[in-house]
Amino acid sequence: MSEFKPTILAFCCNWCSYAGADLAGVSRLQMPPNVHVIRVMCSAAVKPEYAFKALSEGIDGVLVLGCHIGDCHYLTGNHRTKKRFPVAQRILKDVGIDERRLRLDWVSAAEGEKFQQVITEFVSDIKKIGPNPLREVKM
Amino acid sequence: MSVKHVLTTCPYCGCGCNFYLQVVDGRLVGVIPCKTDVIGQGRLCIKGYNAHAFVQHPDRLTHPLVRDGSQMRKASWDEALDRVVSEIKRISSKYGPDSVAVFSSAKFTNEENYLVQKLARVAIGTNNIDHCARLCHASTVAGLVYSFGSGAMTNSIPEFEDADCLLVTGSNTLETHPMIGARMVRAIDRGAKAIVVDPRETPLSRIAHISLHQRPGTDIAWIDGIARIIITENLYDKEFVETRTAKFEELKSAVEEYTPERVEAISGIPKDKLVEVARLYARSKKAMIAYAMGVTQHSNGTEIVRSLANLAMLCGHIGKESSGVNPLRGQNNVQGSCDAGALPNYYPGYQSVAAPEMKAKFEKAWNKQLPEKPGVTLTEAFELAAKGQIKAIISFGENAMVSDPDITHVEKGIRNLEFFAAADIFNTETTKFAHVILPAACYAEKDGTFTCTDRKVRRVRKAVDAPGEAWPDWKIACELGKRFGAPGFDFSSPAQVMDEFASVAPIYAGISFDRLEKEILTWPCTAKDQPGARILHVGGFKMGRGAFAPVKHADPAEMPSAEYPMILSTGRNLFQYHTGTMTRKSPKLEREAPVPYVEMNDADARRMKVAEGDRVRVSSKRGNITLVARVTRNIMPGVLFIPFHYAEAAANMLTNPALDPIAKIPEYKVCAAKVEKA
Amino acid sequence: MNDLGRKLAKIAFEERKADYLLAARDESGNVAPAFVSKGEDVGDVRMDVPYQLVMVLTKLYPWIGKGKIAVVARRCDEKALNELTKRGIFDAERIVKVGLACSKEQIAKCRCDDPVPSKVDFGEPQKGAASDELAGKLLKMTGEERLKFWVRQFRKCNKCFGCTTNCPVCFCDHACVLEERELVAEKSIPPGLAFHLVRSFHMADKCIECGECERSCPADIPLLTLRKLVKKDMKELYNYAPGNEKAISPLLTTLEGDKLEDDSNVC
Repeated sequence: MSEFKPTILAFCCNWCSYAGADLAGVSRLQMPPNVHVIRVMCSAAVKPEYAFKALSEGIDGVLVLGCHIGDCHYLTGNHRTKKRFPVAQRILKDVGIDERRLRLDWVSAAEGEKFQQVITEFVSDIKKIGPNPLREVKM
Repeated sequence: MSVKHVLTTCPYCGCGCNFYLQVVDGRLVGVIPCKTDVIGQGRLCIKGYNAHAFVQHPDRLTHPLVRDGSQMRKASWDEALDRVVSEIKRISSKYGPDSVAVFSSAKFTNEENYLVQKLARVAIGTNNIDHCARLCHASTVAGLVYSFGSGAMTNSIPEFEDADCLLVTGSNTLETHPMIGARMVRAIDRGAKAIVVDPRETPLSRIAHISLHQRPGTDIAWIDGIARIIITENLYDKEFVETRTAKFEELKSAVEEYTPERVEAISGIPKDKLVEVARLYARSKKAMIAYAMGVTQHSNGTEIVRSLANLAMLCGHIGKESSGVNPLRGQNNVQGSCDAGALPNYYPGYQSVAAPEMKAKFEKAWNKQLPEKPGVTLTEAFELAAKGQIKAIISFGENAMVSDPDITHVEKGIRNLEFFAAADIFNTETTKFAHVILPAACYAEKDGTFTCTDRKVRRVRKAVDAPGEAWPDWKIACELGKRFGAPGFDFSSPAQVMDEFASVAPIYAGISFDRLEKEILTWPCTAKDQPGARILHVGGFKMGRGAFAPVKHADPAEMPSAEYPMILSTGRNLFQYHTGTMTRKSPKLEREAPVPYVEMNDADARRMKVAEGDRVRVSSKRGNITLVARVTRNIMPGVLFIPFHYAEAAANMLTNPALDPIAKIPEYKVCAAKVEKA
Repeated sequence: MNDLGRKLAKIAFEERKADYLLAARDESGNVAPAFVSKGEDVGDVRMDVPYQLVMVLTKLYPWIGKGKIAVVARRCDEKALNELTKRGIFDAERIVKVGLACSKEQIAKCRCDDPVPSKVDFGEPQKGAASDELAGKLLKMTGEERLKFWVRQFRKCNKCFGCTTNCPVCFCDHACVLEERELVAEKSIPPGLAFHLVRSFHMADKCIECGECERSCPADIPLLTLRKLVKKDMKELYNYAPGNEKAISPLLTTLEGDKLEDDSNVC
């Protein structure tokens, strides 16, 4: 039985967390390989729709990384994100999808190490939760 | 300002749902389901919710058009109608009235069908009147008339939800009859066991108790196989068989060879599953058979229908609640079109043209001598046109260039006509060839009735005016009839037409518009104080005993070969409707399924290096088309499926015009084809 | 015109000075929504068949240039009106409510805990239902069991779009996110879980639990139960319940509670 290699999407906002990801890379910080980073202009551009689509088709985890509150390039973009994602997580839970598969966190452009830490923790948590059962479910 | 909510019947499928068309100042703004509707119960399918979208489309035909050289030009109704009548009269006197064929429309109201068949018989003098039931359930009519004495659905739509066993075959019910599918879903939620037998895994298969996939064209084998198990395991209703049926011994010997092993070899259905299905069907108290094109559209479709009827009679699952044999009629009024006599061998009410006493009855009722010979069918008519025996066709609301098999040959037939007149609501691939085009009103623009698949007669009510100078077809038929100098075309309303239809057809005798305002009426409705019979054959068959049919498996007319190794099956999807005349002009529906496609099995695709979305060319002996490949596990290896909705990649370029000898229905479900990357 | 109709006409046209009235009445052996002008015969009015008249109004409203419209409104209709007015779909000045209190039977069917409109003109005010039994069962299940339950339910979905078409607070008729191909593949039947999850999210701050989605579903999917579960979430997360005249959705405000700068019509 081969080890579970989770497939994970990480939406990173251009101004903060994506820059933080870059920094982590340039600093050669070790990170698990199964994360697909998708750059967006703002964490608010990550509609919960994308997370729902990804998770219902079998993606094991969705990570959304934005700027710290107060630092958003678009001023209140991350306010929106912060308000929405708990609702999205609750809906996942209501339907029976483990809400821990969707996580929201804040990483600034200077926080290469935090980026590494968030990624590593998330991958490890998803590994513990296990593969998304919806991968095998055919509607 | 005027705001109306007009209760009418859906123009799409045979479910017959009612809804309200919302009209503000003559503009259709939407559809509201009718919460008290007996069929829909306040629910609709996606087509129903969009049934208003095509009505006031700018492409609607608004003026009569006549051919002048190679151009079509606008004409007045007088000129257009006179042209039709003079040409038909000329051709009829030169070649005889049987050189003319008239096609009525299954989208028409009952009143319009009644008038158009009268036009053919009384005004033109021919029994060459037919409509697209020929392409879908002709084998049902021919089949069940033999088995039960009547060719219609035996039970009613609401009863599906109370069945404890559903045997569904050749019907992708959730896509083609969504509101009947909804009742089946309810039955399944209540614990009913649904058995779905289909070469494809359809939405209904997904939630069925048992889902089986048979090779296309092998239905009699597995159905006879079930009959054999029911007989040999003594699961049949002995009393019913002895007292109410005939030819049991012939059936018994005919099915003997269809052992589970033999059935598996022919059809691919696992033998243990066959046994399980047979026992389940026989032992259930309320078992309903539902079927559609997968059964009827074969070169032996009539026999397949009869083999299903055999099962119901063996187990006594007929003439009682939630039982019976239930053909799901496709068009909104294909049932009514047959009832009203738009058939070459039947007068209105299924009274036979060949019976002298019927001819006499109708000659008296219509005050005209009537032609003697039963007429030719729609499928034969194009062949005869190609041969030069049919010289003129009047086609009402029929898009033969997309819906008939082997379109290349249909075109040959149409081009060979001396005169071709077409009435329709939009320009189509067929109206292109017409010498006269008559603009017609659609369902939202006229009054009348449709009869849905479970024999309920439903009102259609005018909500908006027809565009430009378009006329309702009942008016077109009357005006033509008058110009032919024929008696009996003086009607000022569809209600009057229904009254005359009711007076000559006993099964509709109790139907009238007044009654339909207050009650649900189902035919046979033989008197003005009866609601009609919801369930047929209660207590017995009209002809005394039901007849078993000792039918045997026969291969389809065209089997796969070295050059054409795949089986091509054609059919429908939920979002488009038939030739797409209406749905392709409805934005939300067109958006859901805008592109022609062929479904192919993923192992086959891998082998041919075809990926999802690749363009492929599918060919048969008749021609080839290019379309997008949909790679899926939901279809058997060696089988292709193409929906026939898309004129730009018409499935019927490829289909085989082989006809069932009795019903003359084409074998749309099986022909040989090949697929290659384009 | 029956007694109910007479009483309704008096309240709507005389007392509340409406020019039009939207109600349900007997017609051709069925019960139909009816839009009646002042002076017209209101007909034989019925109040027992649960047409969501505010939904009917949303389809007509863009075409009715002026005039006051009275609508027979239950508590859920009233809440829907509030949500739509907040979002600028209706001009509050032009809508006049005639309050209908639901019967015990209807309340039980909707598992409704808030069945009495602010002013009752028809019907006897009744107590709200205790709880949604199915919701209770689902909350006690494990995640796995819940997922199995909902997958089984959503597998029956036949993409009729009845839930959105008949929803009084669903107003994105021509640009519905559920028709975006990236989200819901064309021709997909059933449309996949994402469809229902997205719908639940969009409904989270507007659903007033009228139950039309569930009543319109040909597959008998318990959509109202799902809405009630999300309602509970919104209450716990933000102490927010849709249907209030003034309160802005927490999904449309900043963390400090100011309205977000974009157009609140966007779903």
